[in-house]
Amino acid sequence: MTRAPLLDARGVTLRFGGVVALDAIDFAADEGAITGLVGPNGAGKTTLFGILSGLLRPRSGQVVLAGVDITRASPQRRTRLGLARTFQRLELFGEMTVREHLVVAHRVRERRDRTLFRDLLGLGSRPTAGETEAVQSTLSLLSLEEVADQPVVLLPLGTARIVEIARALATQPRLVLLDEPTSGLDVQETAQIAAALRVARDERGIAFVVVEHDVELVLEISAEVTVLDFGRVIARGAPSDIRSSAAVQAAYLGTATSEAEAP
Amino acid sequence: MGPFIVTGLVLGSIYAVSVLGLVLTYNASRVFNFAHGAIAYFAAVTYYWLTTFEGWSVGPAALAVVFVVGPVVGVFLWWVVFRRLTDSPPVVRFVSTVGLWVAIPAFTKLLYGTTVAGGEVLAPGFGGNPPGEFDFLGVTINWNQATIILAATLVALVFGALLRYTPFGLATRAAVDSPRVASIAGINPPVISAISWMLGCGLAAFAGVLLSPTLGLGEVQFTLLLVVSFAAAVVGRLRSLPLAFAGALLIGLLQGLSEKYTSDWFADSTSTFTDTLKTGFKPSIPFIVMLVFLLAYQGLGREQFEVDLRAGPAEAEVAPAARLAGWRAAIGPLAVALALFSVPLWLNDFWVGVLSQGVALAILFLTFIVVIGEGGMLSLAQVALAGIGAFTAAKLATDSGWPVWLALLAGALICVPIGLLVAALSLRLGDLYLALATLAFAQLVTYLVFQRSDFDNFNSGVEIARPEFLGIDFDDRVNFYFLVAIVFCIAALAIVTLRRSTTGMVLTAMRSSETASATIGISIVRSKLIAFGVSAFIAGLGGGMYAVSFGRATVQSFSVLVGIVWLAIVVTWGIRSVVGALMAAILYVVVSPPTDKLSFVLVIIVVFVLMGMTARLIGSRAIYTPRGALAAVVLYAAGIAAIVLLLPIDVKEEIDLGTAWDYIPTLLFGLGAVFLARQPRGVLFDVMNRIRLRQLQREARLAEGAVPAEAAS
Repeated sequence: MTRAPLLDARGVTLRFGGVVALDAIDFAADEGAITGLVGPNGAGKTTLFGILSGLLRPRSGQVVLAGVDITRASPQRRTRLGLARTFQRLELFGEMTVREHLVVAHRVRERRDRTLFRDLLGLGSRPTAGETEAVQSTLSLLSLEEVADQPVVLLPLGTARIVEIARALATQPRLVLLDEPTSGLDVQETAQIAAALRVARDERGIAFVVVEHDVELVLEISAEVTVLDFGRVIARGAPSDIRSSAAVQAAYLGTATSEAEAP
Repeated sequence: MGPFIVTGLVLGSIYAVSVLGLVLTYNASRVFNFAHGAIAYFAAVTYYWLTTFEGWSVGPAALAVVFVVGPVVGVFLWWVVFRRLTDSPPVVRFVSTVGLWVAIPAFTKLLYGTTVAGGEVLAPGFGGNPPGEFDFLGVTINWNQATIILAATLVALVFGALLRYTPFGLATRAAVDSPRVASIAGINPPVISAISWMLGCGLAAFAGVLLSPTLGLGEVQFTLLLVVSFAAAVVGRLRSLPLAFAGALLIGLLQGLSEKYTSDWFADSTSTFTDTLKTGFKPSIPFIVMLVFLLAYQGLGREQFEVDLRAGPAEAEVAPAARLAGWRAAIGPLAVALALFSVPLWLNDFWVGVLSQGVALAILFLTFIVVIGEGGMLSLAQVALAGIGAFTAAKLATDSGWPVWLALLAGALICVPIGLLVAALSLRLGDLYLALATLAFAQLVTYLVFQRSDFDNFNSGVEIARPEFLGIDFDDRVNFYFLVAIVFCIAALAIVTLRRSTTGMVLTAMRSSETASATIGISIVRSKLIAFGVSAFIAGLGGGMYAVSFGRATVQSFSVLVGIVWLAIVVTWGIRSVVGALMAAILYVVVSPPTDKLSFVLVIIVVFVLMGMTARLIGSRAIYTPRGALAAVVLYAAGIAAIVLLLPIDVKEEIDLGTAWDYIPTLLFGLGAVFLARQPRGVLFDVMNRIRLRQLQREARLAEGAVPAEAAS
């Protein structure tokens, strides 16, 4: 008997006006594993992510994280329960360096943003030993040491996407939602991201849910893949099953561009 | 009852015409026009000038203003300002139109002179003089009132039809939803936007023309028009024209009826409170309506702006220099502190007095640095909070006999819960709602609190003595100057410390991306409330110190219009910089008192030079070479010598440059804020950025081994 999944969404439904964006979706992600979420444009992947991370509220359905019902929880509460995410359109903090991104995420996690009076006196700004170590270990985990003190606005896109992942990891999550982490990247940068995910999974036991256009990448790194189309789940299973599924071929892979066909 | 309903309908109709223009332009361009009332003011004065001074008859004058002046102003402002704003960050959009709100009335007074503008006279109405009357359902209505109601009805019908049934309406809705897709579909979003600004400003002009015979040409009336339009726009959730229209009529009707009931209820009142209600209730109605609807809309979603911050300013901008470490980091702040504390050495008593007012005001200005610069919140309530702090301190010190320093502290503390309440009501709904609610709050405080007879005291306000402790005599100008300078330094230091602390990092994160901040566990509302609370405290403290520097807290020093001028000048200098706040405040007090104008020009020049040098000191590494250090010392000495030689003047003979001169500084402050559309981080940042850019270019050239032609210069 397997354990209950870390993240479990049941019957999630959302409508925009008359359009059904998500129709009774069931979705689950296991502890310490990479779960893929694919589907053509408009399938509802980003909408589902919005619901999972608390930026959107579903019309009906339930989202459970580590046994806690978080359907109506705020994004902050979800973070405290161990959920983090990245964005397809970069949402980095433009005035900060790479290191500061991790420091602020770490401090919010440690609730050090709640000490106004210490901060006014200048007592709240010194890093603790634990913080320096945690930040340093995340930087080295994702090979960001060299750019650690650069402002993020100067970074190339691939590195910026890794910084998003690093910031998510700095909140000490159990599960990270990645929204198209390789969009706009070349082959080498994509490989870099895939390697980073594997390392984080293996060394820290962090689970990932990856939304991707690059189906080959998802099939390669995921333990389980869910395929969405027009707001419904049309297939779920191990990568090998998905690759051979007729429904997926028809709905998605068959009409996809050559990159999905490539060996 | 009947006549009051008619009065209410007339007011409501004027408001409705105004709010239609406001909501239309907001929907077509995502820019909320804080200058809407100012444009109405310009139109109203133009109308008054045409009819009373140029001998035009009422009809042609009104038509010319509504169909020519309004639209021309609209398309001109669109070309110069608004079209650049659609893609800029919310703070820039807000501050640029606030700048216009400051600049346009000043420009109007310069253009027409104070004989035409500036009075509280009524412009001629449309119903003849005196207007003819007729009976309608047993109520006597004059033709003035009838024309206004008819005009509003007509405008509503025409606009309803325009948006619903014409290609322009369809295109407007499409262009707003998705400019890019609309342009692919053959719609030209800039043209749509330009047309909507013409229409919107035409409607503002129309409202101005309708208002001027009814409530007169006082500038305050047009601020009220603006606040009412905002309240009505909130009723329509900033989007719905019919709801906003209904909201405007509702406010008008309530105001009409309130005239009857307040005079009935409080007919034989004697207490200060009911006296205040009698005069203050009517102008407070917009705020009450806005409050009710803000509460009603709490559960609904946030107003979303689609802003791509990466679009940013198009100007060449270099990454900030690596923060100087160790003793070098202290040089910039020390130079400023040195300049600040050495003032009594090289200025005479008169100017020390003026500057102590300036530094006291600078403490107050720090509130803008916290709330807008750090918190990214668009607050117009800071001036009201400062007033609350000042009056609380003055009342406690003078009437209740508290020690002055304790009264000042109490004044600052009381602002915190008040500020938090105002912010909490509107923050959840979004940035723009905060701006609207804080403006309405400031207006409410002005009418319900500051108008109290024991506060206003026939324009002379409430006295407040200078504090005394440690046996130091702060009636002495130099001692008092040192006191305000020390308080300023402590407050500025606290802000800089806060900026580098965890709280500061959280605020920085939030300014960049609220979405990402929320998903790393930051509570947006809570963090913003912290910033607002700190800014409210500083506002209260600064307000108190400013009042102490004058010896009294007066209603005029804390009006909404003064507040927006302050805001404009602070953002011009740099909303992120405490030094900018200091410069802004000194400039403001030097300009304000009608002293010797020539000396004022000189002071400005000197301030500019000092500013440039300070920027240079902070931004440059050349200063650490012997030659650079020598040059800096010589420059500073020359600057100080210039001040000492040129300013031994007390107020002597007034050099008459005409009354118009009084409006030029205000005009410049306003235009300075409008300039933000180009460089959101203010003049100070712009100067530093340019210096650094040039330096980098020179270094690059040197590195390439090119002839160092410029190094010699």
